[in-house]
Amino acid sequence: MNQEEILGKKPLHVLEKIKENLERLNEKMEVIIELQKHGRKDIHPLPDASLDVMTLLSMPDHLRKTAMTICRCGRATADEISQQTTRARAVESAYLNQLVIMGYLKKERKGRKAYFYAERETPG
Amino acid sequence: MLKGKLQGENKMSKILAVHSYKGGTGKTLISVNLAATLAKRGRKVALFDLDFRAPSLFAILKTSNAECWVNDYLNGTCEINKVLVDMSSRLQENGKFFVGLANPGTEAIRDMSAKDRKWEMHALSSLLALRNTLLNGGGFDYLVFDTSPGLQYSSINAIVAADLVLVATTGDRSDVDGTRRMLNELYNLFEKKTGLVLNKVLDSAKSKKDELSSKVQATYKVPLLGFVPCFCEILRAEGNFIFAQDKPDHPFTKILDEMAKKIETNALN
Repeated sequence: MNQEEILGKKPLHVLEKIKENLERLNEKMEVIIELQKHGRKDIHPLPDASLDVMTLLSMPDHLRKTAMTICRCGRATADEISQQTTRARAVESAYLNQLVIMGYLKKERKGRKAYFYAERETPG
Repeated sequence: MLKGKLQGENKMSKILAVHSYKGGTGKTLISVNLAATLAKRGRKVALFDLDFRAPSLFAILKTSNAECWVNDYLNGTCEINKVLVDMSSRLQENGKFFVGLANPGTEAIRDMSAKDRKWEMHALSSLLALRNTLLNGGGFDYLVFDTSPGLQYSSINAIVAADLVLVATTGDRSDVDGTRRMLNELYNLFEKKTGLVLNKVLDSAKSKKDELSSKVQATYKVPLLGFVPCFCEILRAEGNFIFAQDKPDHPFTKILDEMAKKIETNALN
């Protein structure tokens, strides 16, 4: 008898939801911790922020590494970024969320995964 | 400041950006001849003119029959295969040599200098995409970017997209200081693997080679990829031929071959 049969479909679904919410909560806490660690001076939400090379140059080192990896990958999860930078997933998640707050990245949820990407306008 | 090594630094360098602080240090000379040398070694190479302020490859390579310019590719109006001109027939060896030209028209130069940050951001992603389309998908072994001097958007885009930055410099005081600043405030911030090419060296006796190398290491804290003596023949050629192709026995050709060997064997660390 498998887990689903023991618990019934509904309780398992509820547990999945709780897990998902806990993960989101965890992400938010990681951002708060990172904000405290680096001070709030790095966080300036910009109305027309673009992730161009001059912006990358002016970024603090810890964010530049994450932002450059997103530039290379195009669209990625915190887990994928952490594999490239060899930093902890939680750390990358916090930096990615900081970049979202600053207006440089967009975040999109697909099921339980959160994808980060830099929004690009069509050139002209 | 991030002083850490580039992640995967030991990986082969496939995209090379030739850059410098000042103009006239020999970027184009080195780009063209290094690309031709790699092609002569049997590789499939694409050389790109990313000096949109002063395009010159069309004149040096005496070709203008491209369907599209690199400008068009970055503008998103043309595929990269329509930009590349096959110049392999000029080589006597088996390699493949392609070139992507920058539009030399005054209007195009003006247009490129008026691009905004969003456009530059898109241009960076177009350059980054070349790794997939040309290296992974197009069978190319090397991409060589010839850039504008100094801190230009187009040059920094090329540096970010590259695996290895070849910094052309001379012994000139103003160039030395500026180059050192760029190493600390540009390449290091992007954690780029960097190699120095010391050009127009006056005292180039063999016995001085180690001394020069140590001096470069002490001044710039980066490895010396090679040094090029001040050859009057290069000046006399007036850009009319490619040494690596047309003068196989010239010492400059041999120096380039040594540089290419270092790049191919990843002997720059």
